[in-house]
Amino acid sequence: MIKMSLKIYKKLDLTGQSCAGPLGELSGVLEEISPGEAVEAVLGDEATKKDVVAWATKKGYKVVQERRDGNNYVVVLTK
Amino acid sequence: MKRVIVVGGGIAGTIVANRIARTIPEELEKGEAEVVVLDKSDKHVYQPGQLLVPFNVQDPVELVRNERDILDHRVRFLHGQKGEVTKIDPANHTVVTADGVSHTYDYLIIATGSHLRWEEVPGYKDAVYSPWDFDSALKLREALDQFSGGTVVINVAKLPHKCPVAPMEATLMLDDTLRKKGLRDKTEIVYTYPINGIFGIKTTNDVMIKIFQERGIKVISPFNVTNVDPKNKVMESQEGEKVKFDLAIGVPPHVGAKVIGDSGIGDKRNWVPTDKFTLRMKDHSNVFVIGDTTDIPISKAGSTADFESYIIANNVANEIRGTGLKKTYDGSVFCYIATGVDSATYIRFNYANPPVPPPPSYVHWWGKLMYNKLYWTVTAKAIV
Repeated sequence: MIKMSLKIYKKLDLTGQSCAGPLGELSGVLEEISPGEAVEAVLGDEATKKDVVAWATKKGYKVVQERRDGNNYVVVLTK
Repeated sequence: MKRVIVVGGGIAGTIVANRIARTIPEELEKGEAEVVVLDKSDKHVYQPGQLLVPFNVQDPVELVRNERDILDHRVRFLHGQKGEVTKIDPANHTVVTADGVSHTYDYLIIATGSHLRWEEVPGYKDAVYSPWDFDSALKLREALDQFSGGTVVINVAKLPHKCPVAPMEATLMLDDTLRKKGLRDKTEIVYTYPINGIFGIKTTNDVMIKIFQERGIKVISPFNVTNVDPKNKVMESQEGEKVKFDLAIGVPPHVGAKVIGDSGIGDKRNWVPTDKFTLRMKDHSNVFVIGDTTDIPISKAGSTADFESYIIANNVANEIRGTGLKKTYDGSVFCYIATGVDSATYIRFNYANPPVPPPPSYVHWWGKLMYNKLYWTVTAKAIV
């Protein structure tokens, strides 16, 4: 469960192709969040989910939730 | 009468206004509908062409025309204070212009674009040339003309930005230009990018990074620039890298338009929350968002706006006519990628299908130049 104190600042559907890629899209958004806010990312495959978790952890972000949603993978990240 | 207001007369706003005019000509001529474009400026700049200016491939004079000359004669155009939108109020279906007039609409299309926020990175504006800025593109042309060798750093400050493939193009055109001038062996080219690799889509990154390797281009990534020292010409990153350079070419941080923030309708970077399939602003079904203005994870590029314009124009027309039909955007994007000053490749993709660039060729370079030249007479006028 997400801590009740965290507010989802933005939900990002990253299941499709985009030029910045999932990490590029997330990097731009995560830099903007304030304490108490989180970003929910929807990812289309497990490999991308692992990449996102590894990247976020290395950047110092916290992974507060990982879950399956049908064929997709949902990751909630905060600072 | 149904009034459609388009806020912004850049590439996205112009194409969508013209496409609506071509889709509902009878309604416009009978006075059953009206399309109005609002913009502070009466000039239209073809920004994608700015990338070619520093390499002497593009005459900058050809990149600017009068907006009125590009718009369909059935589209009303207000500029100056009458066209400068100071507030967008979706709850009350109005926009307010700088002359104090409140304009009501039945359908609103927000096309206010992306803008440079140089000051986010201290020193960037003083030390870095950018083809993303018209005047800076001209200055870079002069700087390259006088360049006699050294280290050139190419930097992307932040993602997303407009023309996502353009940093790779600038790098490869620079490499080719220096080879043709006999300066390549006196120059180190360093490409710096905020995430691993040189581009966000893996299938494209894998092809393009091989070309970089073949050309001897050094890549430092991830590299998230924190500041630039204009005096000592050093660029620093969050990752602790320090790159000394003789010439820097970069993409400054991008944000959405100020009016989006002033109106309280965007996120923290002034991108407007938008449904990725319907292109409608979230929670406002009679407001569409197009081009760079959206917060959709898709390319901020002219071709994206062109593809999106079909969906919005058709859905506005369907609603005015009450047909009940709906179109959805599939994430289509098409971008040429210059790999020199006489060769190019391209990417064509959508949400579901990743792109793999074909081998670079002169044919694609010719296609890129033609695509740019045809902008004024075909693309902007929504002929196809």
